[in-house]
Amino acid sequence: MGNTTDKVKILTAFEGMPNSRALSTYTSKGGYDALKKVLKMQPAQIIEEVKQSGLRGRGGAGFPTGLKWSFVPQNLPGPRYLVCNNDEGEPGTFKDRYIAELSPHMIVEGMVIAAKAIGACKGYIYTRYEFFEEIHWLETAIKEAYQAGFLGKNIQGSGFDFDLDHYTGAGAYICGEETGLISSLEGKKGQPKLKPPFPAVSGYLGRPTVVNNTETFAAVPWIMTNGAAAYKAIGTEKSPGTKLFSIAGAIKKPGVYELPLGYSFEKLLNDDCGGMLPGRTLKACIPGGASAPVLTPEELKGLTLDYEAIAAKGSMLGSGAVMIIDDRQSMVELMKVIADFYHHESCGQCTPCREGTGWLANIMGGIWEKQGAESDVDRMWTVAKQMGGRTICALSDAAAMPTMAITKKFGDEIREYIRRGTSA
Amino acid sequence: MSDKVSFKINGESVTVPKGTTVMQAAQQMKIAIPHFCWHPGLSVAGVCRFCLVKVEGRPKLEIACNLQAVDGMEIRTDTEEVKDAHKWALEFHLINHPLDCPICDQAGECGLQNYYMSVGKYQSQMDRPKVLKPKALDVGGDLVLDTERCILCSRCVRFEKEVTKTDALGIFDRGDHAIIGTYPGKKISHNYTTNLVDICPVGAFTSKDFRFKQRVWFLEEKPSTCAGCSTGCQVDVFGKEQTGTYYRLKPREGEANGHWMCDYGRGTYRHLNQEERQRFAFVNDRGSRRDVDFNEAIAVLAKKLKHTKADDVAILVSAQYTNEEYEALFDFFVGKIGVKKVYQWREPTEKLSDFDGLLLRGDRNANTAGLLAAMKLHKVGGDKPMNQHEDVAKSGAKLVIALVPEIPTGFPSLKTHLLGLSELEFVSFWSVNGLIDDLKQARHVIPLKGFAEKRGTFTNHAGKDGHLTTPFNCPVPDARCIVETVSALAEVYSRAH
Amino acid sequence: MSSEQVFSSKLQDAIKKELTRYETKRSAILPILHAIQDECGWVQDKHIDALESAHGLNRVQVKEVLTFYKAYYQKKPRKHPIQFCDNIVCCMMGAKDVMEKIEGHIKRLEDKHGDDAPFEMIGVPCLGVCDQAPAMLVNKDRHHKVTVDNVDQILSKYASLT
Repeated sequence: MGNTTDKVKILTAFEGMPNSRALSTYTSKGGYDALKKVLKMQPAQIIEEVKQSGLRGRGGAGFPTGLKWSFVPQNLPGPRYLVCNNDEGEPGTFKDRYIAELSPHMIVEGMVIAAKAIGACKGYIYTRYEFFEEIHWLETAIKEAYQAGFLGKNIQGSGFDFDLDHYTGAGAYICGEETGLISSLEGKKGQPKLKPPFPAVSGYLGRPTVVNNTETFAAVPWIMTNGAAAYKAIGTEKSPGTKLFSIAGAIKKPGVYELPLGYSFEKLLNDDCGGMLPGRTLKACIPGGASAPVLTPEELKGLTLDYEAIAAKGSMLGSGAVMIIDDRQSMVELMKVIADFYHHESCGQCTPCREGTGWLANIMGGIWEKQGAESDVDRMWTVAKQMGGRTICALSDAAAMPTMAITKKFGDEIREYIRRGTSA
Repeated sequence: MSDKVSFKINGESVTVPKGTTVMQAAQQMKIAIPHFCWHPGLSVAGVCRFCLVKVEGRPKLEIACNLQAVDGMEIRTDTEEVKDAHKWALEFHLINHPLDCPICDQAGECGLQNYYMSVGKYQSQMDRPKVLKPKALDVGGDLVLDTERCILCSRCVRFEKEVTKTDALGIFDRGDHAIIGTYPGKKISHNYTTNLVDICPVGAFTSKDFRFKQRVWFLEEKPSTCAGCSTGCQVDVFGKEQTGTYYRLKPREGEANGHWMCDYGRGTYRHLNQEERQRFAFVNDRGSRRDVDFNEAIAVLAKKLKHTKADDVAILVSAQYTNEEYEALFDFFVGKIGVKKVYQWREPTEKLSDFDGLLLRGDRNANTAGLLAAMKLHKVGGDKPMNQHEDVAKSGAKLVIALVPEIPTGFPSLKTHLLGLSELEFVSFWSVNGLIDDLKQARHVIPLKGFAEKRGTFTNHAGKDGHLTTPFNCPVPDARCIVETVSALAEVYSRAH
Repeated sequence: MSSEQVFSSKLQDAIKKELTRYETKRSAILPILHAIQDECGWVQDKHIDALESAHGLNRVQVKEVLTFYKAYYQKKPRKHPIQFCDNIVCCMMGAKDVMEKIEGHIKRLEDKHGDDAPFEMIGVPCLGVCDQAPAMLVNKDRHHKVTVDNVDQILSKYASLT
């Protein structure tokens, strides 16, 4: 197939460069060349190129990006919007922050290209509230891009207009869900919207809107410069390209790693990250953010990091947040942290999620306080099962999946805790 | 391309206009799909996740309220998977619900209770402490709010946004701490508050006017038409015949009113209760008042009528009676007796063209159109209605038949009118309400049946008929409707000399 | 109270700018609440009243936003609010112990200063710096690799721990 799993630096091309965030640094290494090229292309050509590249949404769902763009009705009069989902909140994930820290212009450039492709007149970068510095960097990049004529009216003399602004969230995980984000951008509670209609048809203010993750946008300039085929040659057949992995936990070198999809988990853990912290052994791994079902060492053997391979193990690549859990970590505590998190973050509109997340946290709280019964473990699994696939957005599923995995794979440890009142 | 789609629910075929949802089609087909947040008069929220159905060929259950029917679609609401999903959806609704049914006014008409009987009935898995929230809040209008009973279906919020456009309610905070309410210190103030009680599927909103007065299962419910204004909302009257007590009016879906009804109209049951009624006929020779039975009252009036020239008789008639009553009235007095002085009894402050944009109209009479039509038919009365008792006095009539407005709340000047009229030479008051009872000078009074106690027709502002079909037994034994009263009068009159 | 009485002229200008910055006035609710909080420390009912009366923002909608998002303070925070990440990775890397230690400091400071104690702490969801866990925010400063050993040194830069 000719695919390579050798490392290629696309998103991290500016790693280690001094003053990497500056426009001058970015343009000195070909930054905004992709945009200049794209401004001469037809929107359909751009969408086709992105489709051909096989780029999939890097926010967690992995939806094909070109396809998403093609859903925007082309002949509908009136404004269309483009939104960058930089509301990085999936526990364990810190890759989008890294892009903003390294190359905020890569995000801006990717967005202008996407805007040209879908005919958007206005875009927003929506960043979570707590990223104070990152917001400053992004706002600076936007300002620089305006000054250099990469944003605003008649971009680079092409006749294409696109305005970009920044919008700051206010502490709600649910705004990472694209329609929750749109609600938030409209000045409302960040509650996801009922689908259909989908945002590509009716999004921000009821207008066609495309929302992509920061990392997705950042991959676009490279694809337009180097071509879809070059991108598709990286990674695996179904999961082409590179992906940022945020890896953390009981390992020697946590951080953000840009890896071709299909990279070996063991290689990442042992070679790139230097292995487990001294004296610790691998107990489990959450491979794709808090909502991804936990995998046991057995399941991790021979695992490659791509959408399909992880799905085959019953978990998901998600946002690429790899959390390494060691033998000292209590799964009871971990389950409690996860249950509390989703309880805290459920927006509350759909009943199974609002009540289910509360119920799981309630049961888990009882267990933690040593008031649990062994039957609670099965009950949590049952409640979680009933929360899945029943709600407007996937937060309910995100709470249900790890709960079902932990209660199933580490049920004995939890029952032991309940019996003895302590973790194994 | 056809603008219709054909599809099946539980194997039963149906053809509906394109754009119809599975929920709407199921309603037409009388197939019950359990739901809380969906309401036919409001936008689709899709949040209770109760109305899950199976679409053949698709992996996940989907909500019927947001599912547009397409050609060839096959829906099932009766599989084990769907039933189990409904059971669980209900369980999720119940885990933080206080289950205080014995002291909840909604008991008997509560969605949670009803669905528990139809799709629930299981051993609850919830044994943890519940989330506690504020209770028994006065949030304005007719409303008492218990936020703990609320299931956050958002019907009330959508009503405020979409129907009254007042946006007075919000859902604050989030997750299972989300709480319904007004802005702190602010109250809901519009004329449609009790609709929030109606659409609340649980006991979160209850009615100040109704709560704790009666368990709903003790009440009789009879369809009727609101007599409060010229809109003619379709309503159900709730009362208890055994004690002769009326408790409330609720809207019934109809062309005139859609799903709603105003608070003003809701209050138009109170005058029907005994303490507000004209309970006896009486005659009064100014100094010696005595209660008489209906027959004697009729005999006195027949005699008076016999001895008064037709030109000296005037009819003062309010627009709150039925077409059938007007026909009987004019047929006898105008047709047989030859009375020419027929005046409408209007409220001087009324503004006929007033309309609140929703339902309530400035014409606080249910049947102005019917009265005008009857007057035209019998060629009596001018275009401009008379509106003061002084005008009647000036007409020089020696005998006035006064059909008193039934509902006093729409007639701020009523007491003044009655007082003025009672001082004329001889006025025979026919009245549902008991305001005449206090008037020392009133010469002759006949009690009437209220709108909920008779059959007949009102013609509303748009010329559409609203019907009174299912009468309650009248708590005033001697009361008659005008048809019966005129008939008795005509009978005695024909024999009188 | 009029808008002038409630907001400084600088804040008034910021609010007016936000109100015309987006496609709808309503979109300005979040940014305006941020601006109010940045200057006043928290968002009070009088602010919301003024936003409705002077700037036409529906107070129910504003209150919904204020209470939905957890970045906004609905009551006056202490001088140095600490937001400590208690999510998965920070938890694995020892956040609970550090938080316990901070709680101890706060308890002691409360005994001494009551509500004037300089710190308060809440657990917050993942701050997105798991490679440098445990992490916390003090005011708007992010601190990485906070341990039982270095936490006192970090906090004492803000206020005395005794």
